Amino acid sequence: MIEVDKLNFTYPGVPRPVLAGISVCFQAGGITALIGPNGCGKTTLSKLLVGLLRPDSGTIRIDGEDIAGLSLFQIGSRIGYLWQNPNRQLFAPTVEQEIGFGLANRGVTAEEIAADTEYWLDFFHLSHKKGALPLRLSLGEKQRLALGAVLALRPPYLVLDEPTGGLDRRCRRELGQLLRRLAEEQGCGILVVSHEKEFIRQYADREVELL
Amino acid sequence: MKLAAIDARVKLLLLALLSTLALTMKQPAALAALLVLTMVALLFGGVAPVKIWRQTRMILSLIGLLFLLQCLFDRGGEPLLIIGGLTIVTGGGLQAGLVVGLRLLIVVASALLALTGETRDYLLALRWLHLPWEVCYMVQAALRFIPLLRQEAQDTAAAQQMRGCDLKNASWRQRARLYITMLVPITVGALQRAEAMSISMEARAFRSRPGRTSWRRLQMKRDDWLYGLGFVFVLVIIFFVFK
Ligand SMILES: Nc1ncnc2c1ncn2[C@@H]1O[C@H](COP(=O)(O)OP(=O)(O)OP(=O)(O)O)[C@@H](O)[C@H]1O
Ligand SMILES: [Mg+2]
Repeated sequence: MIEVDKLNFTYPGVPRPVLAGISVCFQAGGITALIGPNGCGKTTLSKLLVGLLRPDSGTIRIDGEDIAGLSLFQIGSRIGYLWQNPNRQLFAPTVEQEIGFGLANRGVTAEEIAADTEYWLDFFHLSHKKGALPLRLSLGEKQRLALGAVLALRPPYLVLDEPTGGLDRRCRRELGQLLRRLAEEQGCGILVVSHEKEFIRQYADREVELL
Repeated sequence: MKLAAIDARVKLLLLALLSTLALTMKQPAALAALLVLTMVALLFGGVAPVKIWRQTRMILSLIGLLFLLQCLFDRGGEPLLIIGGLTIVTGGGLQAGLVVGLRLLIVVASALLALTGETRDYLLALRWLHLPWEVCYMVQAALRFIPLLRQEAQDTAAAQQMRGCDLKNASWRQRARLYITMLVPITVGALQRAEAMSISMEARAFRSRPGRTSWRRLQMKRDDWLYGLGFVFVLVIIFFVFK
């Protein structure tokens, strides 16, 4: 469970706080949708949840542990984070290595990395782009690659900032079904920021609206 | 005196003078004097100490590394530190290390000094030097992209850490390898953006007419002259005292 308690956050040099006194709870084993109009602070809240931004006051706990004392590396082993803009998290020289990056860091054997990479490439229909430079992919392809790179690590929590951005209908459906499976079968706690009513209605258990 | 209010041309001149002096003078004492002078100008000029510290911190490890290398590999002068009959640090080495460290610090500090105030004033200052309008505009655009590039590099580093790369406890070799892998996407990203930007600018009629006028005028006021002349005067004194 991710607990957010009386969170306050202001960007440096901006007079008005983006988030003031936010308290909310995200359960493991379910999909929560975070919705709200443009610029209301959804991305900001999601970045706070994974320690990319640090709150001015208030606490965030993952399974009871305050993340203030954790490094990004430690948080990364508990939460997988998808940036709203896929360009921000693609850095490997090839599509294949992008997916394998996290696995290699975990000390997984080369065969397993190869098998897992193949699985995710296939799942997100990117096998034919294996050797391509990630930044040269189309937007939807980048989005799928970024998702694959995050999901390959199978973290117990996922925070996905507009995962359906740029995805076509089929990919959206496949992603939704995958997220449901992860939540139900593996007890993964998933937070999805999204504007897509249809996607939320179909796959989310709960909606949290930020105003 | 508030640095932000001072004419951009004065600050550009000071930047040029300070960095030239920093690179030509060789005595640590002279460089220390330059650094102190610049720091005083920054602190009294309304630049927050936190900001100075944040900018300097990033290159502190580089300075430390260069200092060590110079200390170890410059063999001139009296031996200062001898371990087991082996001279580790000599007077010349220590001096060379100090010189390199101070020079870098001065360059950073003078850049901070020049970067106070509004960027469009620097655009005007470059125009005043009769550089073509397009070139000035590009310099300004490039300056504006620096924070963006830094944000991107930070995001990439964060993404790498979140995907299981322990940057904080990584060895030097691992770090170097990661930084090198980051270079490719950052360069490609910057090129893609530059291309998109130039197309978008031309599509919005950039360069459809030669040059451009500006409502805003740079005006040297009495304070600007005083500040500039005073600063240059101190620089001249430092130069002659240590020559
Ligand atoms: N780095 C920043 N510095 C200053 N202000 C920022 C920064 N990032 C975002 N903001 C501001 O904070 C507010 C919330 O931004 P945020 O990105 O969290 O919105 P969002 O809910 O994710 O919007 P969207 O639906 O468009 O993605 C916006 O008004 C934005 O202008
Ligand atoms: Mg957002």
